[in-house]
Amino acid sequence: MNINLILGIFILKGWDWVGREKSPLAALSWRSPSSSVAPCRALHTTISRRGLDEFFDLPENWGETTVKSGAPWTAKQLRTKSNEDLHKLWYVLLKEKNLLLTLEQEAKRQRVPMSSPERIRKVERSMIRLETVVNERESALRMLQTGQEKARPGAWRRDKFGHVYWYRFKEYAIPWYMNRRYKRKSFFTPKFVQPHIRLRLEKYLRQRARKTSLERRTQSKLKEKFPHANISAS
Amino acid sequence: ITSRYPLYQLGNPQLRIFRPNWFLTLVRPGKEQPPDTVQFRIPMEMTKYDVKNYLEKIYDVPVGAIRTRIQFGSNKKRNHLHQKVKQPDYKVAYVQLAQGQTFTFPDIFPEKELKHEEGSMEEMQEKFMEDEKQRQRLDPRRGGVTEWFGL
Repeated sequence: MNINLILGIFILKGWDWVGREKSPLAALSWRSPSSSVAPCRALHTTISRRGLDEFFDLPENWGETTVKSGAPWTAKQLRTKSNEDLHKLWYVLLKEKNLLLTLEQEAKRQRVPMSSPERIRKVERSMIRLETVVNERESALRMLQTGQEKARPGAWRRDKFGHVYWYRFKEYAIPWYMNRRYKRKSFFTPKFVQPHIRLRLEKYLRQRARKTSLERRTQSKLKEKFPHANISAS
Repeated sequence: ITSRYPLYQLGNPQLRIFRPNWFLTLVRPGKEQPPDTVQFRIPMEMTKYDVKNYLEKIYDVPVGAIRTRIQFGSNKKRNHLHQKVKQPDYKVAYVQLAQGQTFTFPDIFPEKELKHEEGSMEEMQEKFMEDEKQRQRLDPRRGGVTEWFGL
């Protein structure tokens, strides 16, 4: 069964990525649009291959060893932006990452070092931070509207070995009592596992005790050797 | 973002993805392809319809036919510990553009003349090397004849 995934995007036409003098990374020319940077790329009059040209850099940058780029977006900066801006920025970053990946692959193909590979890492970090900011906003909204903390429901359950973990629910078309595969799962600890749990607990407590006594011993030894020294905060 | 798609039942609204986490890599074709075909490396989770919508909506590229295949990454090579090293698998999409458009993969790494700035260390070094080479070369008036021959 093929699921048709239609992408829901705001119309990007008005905010299109024509003048590539502004990189999607903040703090280079983003903040100072008035300062003159590299000249805007001239529109070419060939058949509109413009779409696929966005997979490649400006022709001036082809063959350069280093390409200037700004700092990645920080979460603090992203929190000041509106949802629409963040949405558009996501697609800008996406296109930039596609560009950089094509460049990387072509560089590998031609056995030539890629110009400034740190750009990929910067874009990745920006995207991760954007996602965290969006998730924060979403979870705050959900909390206010429904009182639920998590989007996906779940429960604390025990597994066969006595571990307690957060089991996240899966979506089914039938109720659980009609689901044969689900009923074969056991979310309880049998009685004969209790000795094993006890031994595991003892092991854990022993390790913890060993660690604390080791720390205490090292501290006392240091104090003996250097009585006037400050006790470290660790 | 979508590790599991939500369940679809008749009457549900169309599934939409906002902020897709999929990245396409345009690659130079290994074998000769027809002029309207573009070759991409796509993540394994994408389908033909996903790629079509992706290119049409985000890049505004009219897409005609599209075919995909999965390239098996080799598991044959071994490292210094004689363990097998797996190269990752990837999906390749061959996208044919609609409306009679053509695409040729451009030359992204043209040969460029390295011009050093005036008065810099590199420029002086280059000049020095040039002079050295000039001294090593024979008299051009001899017409390529070596010094072995007298006079």
